[in-house]
Amino acid sequence: MKLKMDFISSGKLNGKAGNKRIDYILGKVKDGSILVMDGVMKPEEEMNLIKETMRRVDDGFPGIEVCSLKKELKGLKLVFDRLSDGKERLWNWISRKEQSELKTGITLIGPAKLIKKIKKNPDSFSVLAET
Amino acid sequence: MVFNGLINWFRNLFGRRKNISLGIYGCTNVGKTTLANKIALDWTGETVGIASPIPHETRYVQKKEKVEIKSDNKKLNINIVDMPGLATKIDYRQFLKYKMSKKVAKERAKEATKGVVEAIKWLDNVDTVLAVMDATKDPLTQVNITLLGNLEARSIPVILVANKIDLKKSNPEEIKEAFPQYPIVYISALKGENMDQLYDAIIKHARKAK
Repeated sequence: MKLKMDFISSGKLNGKAGNKRIDYILGKVKDGSILVMDGVMKPEEEMNLIKETMRRVDDGFPGIEVCSLKKELKGLKLVFDRLSDGKERLWNWISRKEQSELKTGITLIGPAKLIKKIKKNPDSFSVLAET
Repeated sequence: MVFNGLINWFRNLFGRRKNISLGIYGCTNVGKTTLANKIALDWTGETVGIASPIPHETRYVQKKEKVEIKSDNKKLNINIVDMPGLATKIDYRQFLKYKMSKKVAKERAKEATKGVVEAIKWLDNVDTVLAVMDATKDPLTQVNITLLGNLEARSIPVILVANKIDLKKSNPEEIKEAFPQYPIVYISALKGENMDQLYDAIIKHARKAK
C-alpha cells in the first residue's frame, strides 16, 4: 500500500507555458501521484484542466479530484488584484503569452481512483485517500 | 435566405430583442433537466429532455428555443440550454450498478466525457446561467467553485438555484452561506415550488439581449 505525493513549487509551475502546465499536472496524476501545488490556477485554467481531463479519461483513469484554497482578498487588495489581472491579460495578449501565473494559495490534485473524499471548508480541506 | 437576413437585420436595428441563451449548469444529478423541463412545460407545454436518477443521463446539450417567460408585467424571450452535468471524473463502473452491460456502460462514460467538454465550450455562448445545486448536498465542491469563477471572469450573470427543497434533508441556506455574493432562489423543480420566484429572478438578473 504505497501512496506517492509530489509537492511542487509555484516557480516550477509558472515556468511552464501554455498547455504544458496542464500536461505536466495530468501526466503526474495519471501516473498515480497526488500533487500538492504551491498556488491556485485561475478559474479559466481550472476549467481547461477539467476539459483536458475528460479527453484523457479511459478505463484505468476515471479522472481527477481537485481542491484548492485561495487567499481571500477583500477591499482595496481585491481591487488591486483585479487590476493586476486585467494588466496581466493585456500583457499576455500583447506578448501572445498563453499562460498566467498561479495565484497565492494551495491546490491538491490527485487521481479519482485514489482520492475517495474531499471535505472542503472555506479555509481548510481534508482528503481521504485509499490505495 | 438573403431576404430573411435583411428582415432580421432590420428587426435588430429597430430594437426587436433576440432571445437570450439561458444555460442550465451544475454537477450531475442536481436536477438540471427536471428544471429545464419544468420551465419549458410551464411556457410551451413541451419538455426538453429525459430526466433520470442515473448519472449523466444528459450527455448532449439540449435546447428549447423561443420560450417567452413572464413575471408581473414583464416578459423575456429565452432559449433554454440544458447542459450535461459537469464532473472531474467519470468511471464507467458507476453505471454497472444500474444493470447496464460493460459495453453500454463504457459507451455511456465515453459520451459523458464528451458532454462535459461540450458544456464547457458552451460557456462562450450563454448570456445568463442558472447554476443548479442539490440542496441536500455539500455545495462547496470544486466543480461549483470553478463554474462560478468562470462565470464571474466572463461577466456572465448567474442565479443560484437551490433545488430539491421538497426533500426533508435539504438545507438551501448552506448554499446561500457558501456563495453569499450571488442571487439565489430555493425551488423544487420536481414539485414546481417557487417557480414564480425563479422567473422573477431570471427577468431581473438576465443579461439584457442586444
